[in-house]
Amino acid sequence: MRIQLPYRTPHTPAVRLESFLVLLGLSLAMAVLAPGFLSINNFLNILLATAVIGVLAIAATFVLSSAGLDLSLGSLLAVGGVVVGVLGVNLGLPWWVALAGGLAAGVLLGGVNGYLIARAGIPAFIVTLGMLSVGRGLSLLIADGKPIYGLPPAITFLGQGRFLEVPVPVWILLSLTLVFHLILTRTRFGRYTLVIGDNEMAARVTGIDVAAHKIRLYMLSGGLAALAGVLFAARVNAADPTAGISYELSAITATVIGGTNLFGGRGTVVGTLIGALIMGILQNGLNLMAIPAFYQQVAIGSVLVLAVWLDRIRDRRPA
Amino acid sequence: MRLVKLISLLAMAIGSLALAQQQVTIAALMKTTANPYWGAMEQGIRAGARAGNVNLILQSVASESDVEPQLNACLNLLQRNPRAILVAAINSVNLLPCLRQANQRNIPVIDLDGNLDPAVLQRENIRIAFSISSDNRRAGASAAEYIVGKLGQNFSGKVLVIEGLAGNVTGAARRDGFIERLRQIAPNAQVVATLPGDWDRLKAANITNDILQRHPDLAAIYCANDTMALGAVEALFASGRGGRVLVVGTDGNADAIRSIRSDRLSASVAQLPYLLGQRAVENALRVIRGQSVEARIIVPTLVVDKAVLESNRDPLLQYLR
Repeated sequence: MRIQLPYRTPHTPAVRLESFLVLLGLSLAMAVLAPGFLSINNFLNILLATAVIGVLAIAATFVLSSAGLDLSLGSLLAVGGVVVGVLGVNLGLPWWVALAGGLAAGVLLGGVNGYLIARAGIPAFIVTLGMLSVGRGLSLLIADGKPIYGLPPAITFLGQGRFLEVPVPVWILLSLTLVFHLILTRTRFGRYTLVIGDNEMAARVTGIDVAAHKIRLYMLSGGLAALAGVLFAARVNAADPTAGISYELSAITATVIGGTNLFGGRGTVVGTLIGALIMGILQNGLNLMAIPAFYQQVAIGSVLVLAVWLDRIRDRRPA
Repeated sequence: MRLVKLISLLAMAIGSLALAQQQVTIAALMKTTANPYWGAMEQGIRAGARAGNVNLILQSVASESDVEPQLNACLNLLQRNPRAILVAAINSVNLLPCLRQANQRNIPVIDLDGNLDPAVLQRENIRIAFSISSDNRRAGASAAEYIVGKLGQNFSGKVLVIEGLAGNVTGAARRDGFIERLRQIAPNAQVVATLPGDWDRLKAANITNDILQRHPDLAAIYCANDTMALGAVEALFASGRGGRVLVVGTDGNADAIRSIRSDRLSASVAQLPYLLGQRAVENALRVIRGQSVEARIIVPTLVVDKAVLESNRDPLLQYLR
């Protein structure tokens, strides 16, 4: 039986104009201020630096769109990395077994998050805050407290290799953005996600199995976090159990800058990529200008709040 | 027959008592030994205790934030009447009540790794026998000397400094020591940026890529720890510049040594916590015997590169852990 969805056309375009304008304005400012900013190489470099946070932010986009929250992204990133390291290096298994194992570990722990949230009814904030600690502890236990240095070449290729002159992580980020944009906008999975985030009660009344859908969402989130962990490990040729501490906050920030509603019902994967790029461009420009640490913290925080403020001005205007 | 047995037993008891009297009891209070740095220091302390025939009672806490459990452990150690107590305080104030009690009972206090603040101790009127630590400014300076040694006094190239978490004292000392010494010995060298890597591998890799965009002719990178140095090296190799930029880290950890051996990382300024622990016990014994000891003992650092590893002649190499 096909379920009739509530009438809800995607009024929200793939990208909100405001976040695109912030991206453009920031790029222009950096082109003037930061020497070496304006070049194809630096553009690829920014995309490369954005890849790990970008993949995490896609996970955050789905969870936030459904009015959920995943604070365990940074810890599940570490779990994904160290499981790949232990399987591929310490146990010497083939790279694809290690890779599958790492992703499976993320999906599994994400599933635990989802089960506790959807079936046990514990708030997502508490469950994923708990997983933030459990995941970090597990990754330290799995890796015996120290980084696993020196990964199989097939794995490091995912982080350090190039295909058609473009770094592999950039290909991965861009293709995931495309795929998950289509999933969010064109599939039932995506529409259920937005409907649950908009009005969970209405979703239930319509006959959507909300609990099952939420579990799938957190499994997806955990799997993407683990994939981000693989990219992290591949880029630095080490599976580090302390990797990704507080990265969940950067991911959620990128998502919100991109126009996803922190309280659900609205989400855009392309917007999230733009949000992540805004942060990447800012960091790149500050580094190119050699701005010292304390000023960087002030500048990054200010631009983030400004970007979200500009985005929200539109919401307050009568339509 | 029974009498003989009794007498011989008695003799043995007296003998072991006399031995126990010869053996000095020293207490050591550590941070968490899950951290390899403190783990290596513990090994050094145990080795020093074995060599000096010391009855060592060593305690550590579960994590670097166990401020109060560490104080309780310290007070418990004093109950066992050690002749000296070595402390690696979690911060400059958490052990003060215990240290005051040690002073009252004339048990010499030894500051491991320089965690106690002389100003605080003076205000609280607490005496310590000596402090023993490695000098982080000196570690940074050694890295500068290594780089100039490789690139020459007249070297006028570009240098990137990746510092630790913004505001962290250790990272700042290493950075300052590096920059100060570099200005002294190679006044023409240009420090093109000093950026916060937050002890994070990936951030250090990203910073390296960013700086290469503006300065493709970068000559050297100094990182305030090895984790970041290894991230920077991977970024260089991924961008095809591996081996053309000198990268020097700090710590001398096992992964850094492997990377140096495989011609990736150029060098690391090794801290020697094992040596620090060993010397702490040796000097504590001198204090107990009433001999004079320097108030502030600095443990040397060792710049490890491939040549040093391969020649294997530096006596300090045995302390790498």
